[in-house]
Amino acid sequence: MTSKLKLLVTSALSTVALLGVNPAFAADLGTDAGTDIDNTVTVNFNVGGTAQTAETGSDSFKVDRKVNLLVSETGNGNTVVAPDASQQAVSFTVRNLTNDTLDFLLSVEQPTSDDFNVEPTPAVKYYLDDGDGVFDAGDTLITYIDNLAEDASVVIHVVADIPNGLVTGDLAELILSAQAADKGAGAGTGVQGSALTDDSGDVDDKTEVQNVFADGDGDGAEGDNDGSHSALDTYEVAAADISAFKTSTVISDPVSGTTNPKAIPGAVVEYCISVNNAAGSATATNVALSDILPSTVTFVAGSIRVDGTVTSPGTSQTCSGGTAKTDTVGDDEGELDGSTVKATLADILENTGSALIFRVTVN
Amino acid sequence: MKSLFACIALLLPQAVLAAQPIELSSQVFVERKVAKPDGKIAVILEAPKTVVPGDDLVFVLKYRNVGSAPANDISVTNPMPKAVIFNGTADGSEMVSVDGGRNWGALSTLKLPMKNGQYRPAEVADVTHVKWKLNQSLSVGSEGNLIFRGKVR
Repeated sequence: MTSKLKLLVTSALSTVALLGVNPAFAADLGTDAGTDIDNTVTVNFNVGGTAQTAETGSDSFKVDRKVNLLVSETGNGNTVVAPDASQQAVSFTVRNLTNDTLDFLLSVEQPTSDDFNVEPTPAVKYYLDDGDGVFDAGDTLITYIDNLAEDASVVIHVVADIPNGLVTGDLAELILSAQAADKGAGAGTGVQGSALTDDSGDVDDKTEVQNVFADGDGDGAEGDNDGSHSALDTYEVAAADISAFKTSTVISDPVSGTTNPKAIPGAVVEYCISVNNAAGSATATNVALSDILPSTVTFVAGSIRVDGTVTSPGTSQTCSGGTAKTDTVGDDEGELDGSTVKATLADILENTGSALIFRVTVN
Repeated sequence: MKSLFACIALLLPQAVLAAQPIELSSQVFVERKVAKPDGKIAVILEAPKTVVPGDDLVFVLKYRNVGSAPANDISVTNPMPKAVIFNGTADGSEMVSVDGGRNWGALSTLKLPMKNGQYRPAEVADVTHVKWKLNQSLSVGSEGNLIFRGKVR
């Protein structure tokens, strides 16, 4: 009996020694699913002065899977996009709060109460962030989240295209839902698992890991305790609101020179095409202008100026300054292509204007 | 019960089993709070169905003298399962150990060394073993229960 007692004590000590390093307790989300709880009791007593020992074990049961996850929008505020922009991302964090490693299946919802839907619907793309939290070339295209360890989180970029024909302030809401799934066959790496089902109402199976859904209610259609969670992010359109005005000023005529010149044949006329971006709009880039000259005028060689200053844009605007460009096609931002004057203006900030200026003579 | 006997039979040689006059059993229940129709919350004990971290467990140890002679100096020792935090007993009559069974006492009297060489008071989460000493002898046919609570880590 003494030797048996010693054996019992030894095994008890080794159990304790393991306690501190057991990976089952590495994270703070509780005991890993699948861990056995097996209680062992020992009784020592004397019968007629002789020491006795007896031992029993309870029937063992497994710790089940407490399925919980959290999807949240990454960063605050809306993702600002331009109309017709492609590959625009809204970003979410998906955190696994389950006491087990799981896969997560992804889906999106687009509410109809907003101004527009992103495209293509619903085949948006999901990218796994590479650690910088920004959607960029280093991110990985995925269709589901593979093997997310307990208490680990990943940043997912949902990438979609923006339709054309939108105005500043238009909103598109997008909800990312993540559904808890098993990690897949074997180690589960690279294997998409199946969505978990809730076993909390089932009869006991002490030998199997069962699922108890304990997640909250997110922004989407899913609810409490359904193994899914979701969050909403919003695309907000910032369009350029462009208006253009074309005016002409007679610079000189062959009779009166520059004093009260009239638009008589031979007179030099300066055209100003102003482009104005309204307050609160997005910066307009790649502003390209083309103006077909009527046959009644002849272009004055070397007269193209771009990025001119506009005062009082409108029918009575005045234009000045600007940078001279050559007439040659393709060498700079201004050109005469046949009888069409073409120019590209520098970026136009909101609440500012820019102008293309050139001269002709009246035939 | 049949399985329990089988278990003991596996652990102990038949000759020794014949000499075992005390029968032991250990049962585990899960404590659940259930909303009743009248809005009150009832606490029920059920067999462990789905058990997840944070669940409250109740361990019931039953002992019974099935031998032919009274047993004396009875002590019942229960090492805590690794995944369970000790959470007190029904009557506080237990002794606990926080160092794998080397030192015993009421939890409030136990201390654990810290890395800096100082000692801190032991907490329930530190408990590694629970032990009861029964002062009276257990006559033939007598039985009793020992109950302690735990929480799944």
